[in-house]
Amino acid sequence: MTLIESLDAFASRFNANERLRQMNRDWNRTIAIDVEGEPRCALVLEDGHMRVEPGAPSARDIALGAAEPVLVDIFGGELGPTEPYLDGRLTVQGSQEDVLRLDFLSMLIWGE
Amino acid sequence: MKRVVSVSLGTPRRDGTSEVELLGETVRVERRGTDGDVDRAEALIRELDGNVDAIGLGGVDVYLEVGGDRYPIADGVRLRDAARRTPVVDGHGLKDTLERRVVEDLARAGRVGPGTRVLMVSALDRFGMAQALTEAGCTMVFGDVIFTTGMDYPVTTLEELGKLARRVLPQLARLPHGMLYPTGARQEEAPDERFARYFEAADLVAGDIHFIMRYLSGRAHGLTVLTNSTTESDRASLARRGVRSLVTTTPVFQGRSYGTNVVEAMLVARLGPGAGPERYMELLDRVGLEPGSFDLEVSR
Repeated sequence: MTLIESLDAFASRFNANERLRQMNRDWNRTIAIDVEGEPRCALVLEDGHMRVEPGAPSARDIALGAAEPVLVDIFGGELGPTEPYLDGRLTVQGSQEDVLRLDFLSMLIWGE
Repeated sequence: MKRVVSVSLGTPRRDGTSEVELLGETVRVERRGTDGDVDRAEALIRELDGNVDAIGLGGVDVYLEVGGDRYPIADGVRLRDAARRTPVVDGHGLKDTLERRVVEDLARAGRVGPGTRVLMVSALDRFGMAQALTEAGCTMVFGDVIFTTGMDYPVTTLEELGKLARRVLPQLARLPHGMLYPTGARQEEAPDERFARYFEAADLVAGDIHFIMRYLSGRAHGLTVLTNSTTESDRASLARRGVRSLVTTTPVFQGRSYGTNVVEAMLVARLGPGAGPERYMELLDRVGLEPGSFDLEVSR
């Protein structure tokens, strides 16, 4: 699975979950995805819909940085975000509430 | 005299001392806040270890217990393990029993029951209370996701709460506790009214006082609050925001109700380590220590 494929899978699961879409309809955020320090693409949340945009975003609310395989595993549901965050493989920048919310989203999308 | 110290991740502004007579012996209780600094709390516990009779852990649990499953909280475990000689307790041995009993008493008194709309701002840290309120027939909203992440995601059944816990707690419990819970100066921020409608739609708000203070709007007319750790200043603030009555699950000592960790530490100091919830309740009954109840309309 490529990074874009894993992000697409993540966005598809989000968009297919009516409740998550409703609960996040006012959470408009651009989540920049950086691979080894280089901006690669972004997840854009707008009016309760999530899409993947290739390339460096013009603005960023949250930034996630890691090696590509780590990001593929996280967004593909193979790896929770907490472990790589705690061991330093994943860096996260953004407000604490936004970061925690994204963490929750990931767990609600891929949990169980 | 027995000496008990509660080491809290909360603000030092809530620090205080009390002396309580328990079956002919005085227990001196002290609270020391570390402003969310886990390293400082750990150092303080090491310093107190062997020099006091029991240590309480405030503002953090050692583990959460939801629907029979236990989830260790990394920071809580670290702080508990910092002491080698003095028992360290987080209030867990008391929380479940005491909080259930208070709800049962409220139900018997007709203060909660079918038709009572309850907002539990945090239920994953007091699942026993959540179960007791549900069993009493209350209509529940569990606000853990709302008040932890800002995501408008109300949970309304224990089943869904248990499912949520299984999904998120194994990971979340490993994060720095300050990410999940308002510690230190965050306990003193101005109220955030984004979710005021949940408070306005409730008859009773239950759970952690810091989540309540953080999100309670000034339009809480006629509301009852059920919590544990409160100071005189909390009561004045609740009264100003329109809260009608306050019930504390822990007894009131010299004007304040301490957290369950403090009360459990007092009981451990008096009874010795190894005493469980049954002996705790026996002792509380023998000395006549009861939950606190305040009519805040009087103080307005």
